[in-house]
Amino acid sequence: MKSWQRYAGVFLLAVAGLVIQQSVWVLRLLDHGQPGSGFMPFGLGVILAVLAICLIATNLGPEDRQVPFWEPKAWLHPLLAIVITAAYVVVFDDIGAITSVVVLVTGWLLLVEHKGVVVSAATGLATGLVVYLVFDRFLQTPFPRGLLF
Amino acid sequence: MFDVAGLWHGFQIAATPVNLMWGLIGCALGTAVGVLPGLGPAATIALLLPISMKMGSPVTAIILMSGIFYGAMYGGSTTSILLKIPGEAASVVTCIDGYEMAKSGRAGAALGVAAIGSFIAGTIGLIGLTMMAPPLAEAALKFGPSEYFSLTVLGLLLATYLTGESALKGLTMAIVGLILGCMGLDPLSGAVRFDFGVADLQSNLDFVTLAMGLFGVGEILYSLEKSGTASILTTRIENVFPKLADLTRSGWSMVRGSVIGFLVGILPGGGAVLSSLISYAVEKKASKHPEEFGHGAIEGVAGPESANNAAASSSFIPLLTLGIPGNASTAMIFAALLIHGITPGPFLLKEHADVFWGVVASMYIGNVMLLILNLPLIGIWVQLLRVPYSFLAPLIMVLTLVGVYSVNNNVFDIWVMLVMGVFGYVARKLKFDLGPLLLAFVLGPIMERSLRQALLMSNGDGSVFFTRPISGSLMAIAIAFVLYNLWAARKKNRAARAVASSEAAK
Repeated sequence: MKSWQRYAGVFLLAVAGLVIQQSVWVLRLLDHGQPGSGFMPFGLGVILAVLAICLIATNLGPEDRQVPFWEPKAWLHPLLAIVITAAYVVVFDDIGAITSVVVLVTGWLLLVEHKGVVVSAATGLATGLVVYLVFDRFLQTPFPRGLLF
Repeated sequence: MFDVAGLWHGFQIAATPVNLMWGLIGCALGTAVGVLPGLGPAATIALLLPISMKMGSPVTAIILMSGIFYGAMYGGSTTSILLKIPGEAASVVTCIDGYEMAKSGRAGAALGVAAIGSFIAGTIGLIGLTMMAPPLAEAALKFGPSEYFSLTVLGLLLATYLTGESALKGLTMAIVGLILGCMGLDPLSGAVRFDFGVADLQSNLDFVTLAMGLFGVGEILYSLEKSGTASILTTRIENVFPKLADLTRSGWSMVRGSVIGFLVGILPGGGAVLSSLISYAVEKKASKHPEEFGHGAIEGVAGPESANNAAASSSFIPLLTLGIPGNASTAMIFAALLIHGITPGPFLLKEHADVFWGVVASMYIGNVMLLILNLPLIGIWVQLLRVPYSFLAPLIMVLTLVGVYSVNNNVFDIWVMLVMGVFGYVARKLKFDLGPLLLAFVLGPIMERSLRQALLMSNGDGSVFFTRPISGSLMAIAIAFVLYNLWAARKKNRAARAVASSEAAK
């Protein structure tokens, strides 16, 4: 786990570097002698850099005990969920909001939760219907209609 | 001290059929998310933010959201007692004695005492809120930019130190939250910050998108790692109305828990979790039978459950009077108020008295609703534990995706939410507390505006934060707090090193 904390520290240090760079080169630290738009981000960047270094420093050395970041295959379900959701966003405009909801729920139950085809499809259709009634009809959300709906 | 006319006006608003209905929905939803492990009140309020925007009245929206917040405190005890899994973080200590009581066939008594204690504490907290909020709001009118800056600094420091396990990680998340709050348009100069040439990033990051990503999507992804559902305790739930002997034994615990919860709840970051932990420690110390703690002591349920409810009520004091949310849930309510064009703070009571008193009065009514929902109707919530999470997860995901799109009708927001969700998931795995991030994101613009206005007014003289009496006092408390914590951490490290070296010598 310590190594992952160090990676997090390095990532935060990179973010801090980017914030400082933008504050100094792109934004103004001072504007007519007064704090400019880069003033506070610069300060925050410096503090974040210090904290990131502290995070790395406090996690140096060997692992205390073997605590894996992920249990075996534990990453698979979250990763599948992310991929399915990303696919949903990609097709959202093209196939329409309600259809993409049906596809998302059906795909999720089939691939992530390993449910049967009938159960997955029925749940997907029911969810699509509820979203249509609540958001489209009742709340009048202007959803993209797309090709199928 | 007690504005009877204001409160009466509030009851007239809260008792309209629409507000009563949304209050009941909020309390029921709150109890449900409290019962269901994995989905907290902050995430639920985030999920409902887009729907609240469609509600015409801000009072109704806030009644719904506050119902979810304090309803979750009631519901959290159910899973703690029956499954030894805290449905809500504030109910962690209830697991210890509550589950032991359930194992010995006294689940009903534990659930009953938790509900009654929650009701008493919630009501005591509300009386305190009713009495303290108006004078505090009056005093806060004297606050200038330097006072507000010092207050936000102190609030954030307290929140980061008191909420999570690691102050370093909490502080890091708070700084990340402040940086995210800086993205988009600079409130004073109008300059665009951190847009990296992306047109959609030129406007400020949306709170709903951020909150739903971190708390909604992040929570779902985290929960997906744990497959399978918890099995429910087979003990029958009977006699939820505790016996007189149980009530006599736990009466003072409820009172002590209420007072502790109320005081701790006012502090930013103090909130329900810390108050229940303190209450448990106090009860163990005050008990004539400390050896029973951990083996089913009823005081170990009554005290902490009372404390977390009183804290939920009193956490509305800094939110409604100073405009400073103390935890993630009140930060969501803060955002909901802003969405409806209402700025929480000292002017709320003057300019939107109907919102203030309507919400306060609805909480009195909500407490009674929750008592009914959690005593005679406890069986319904127990049944809820049988709903498999495998079906809940995709449904919650759909709600977040559709909800976040409906805010600005922009697909880019969904991408931002997804990225925030992944960030939230990884942060949770690395044990970074996300509460300070969200609080900082909300407080960031107030902090920056106050800082720059104060420096502008003092011609760039930074000593203004230390020389003005209120600001200086707040800064002194903040510095003393940090120094004390550094000293305590150093002492703890030394002690740990001494133990390690003596063990190595052996």
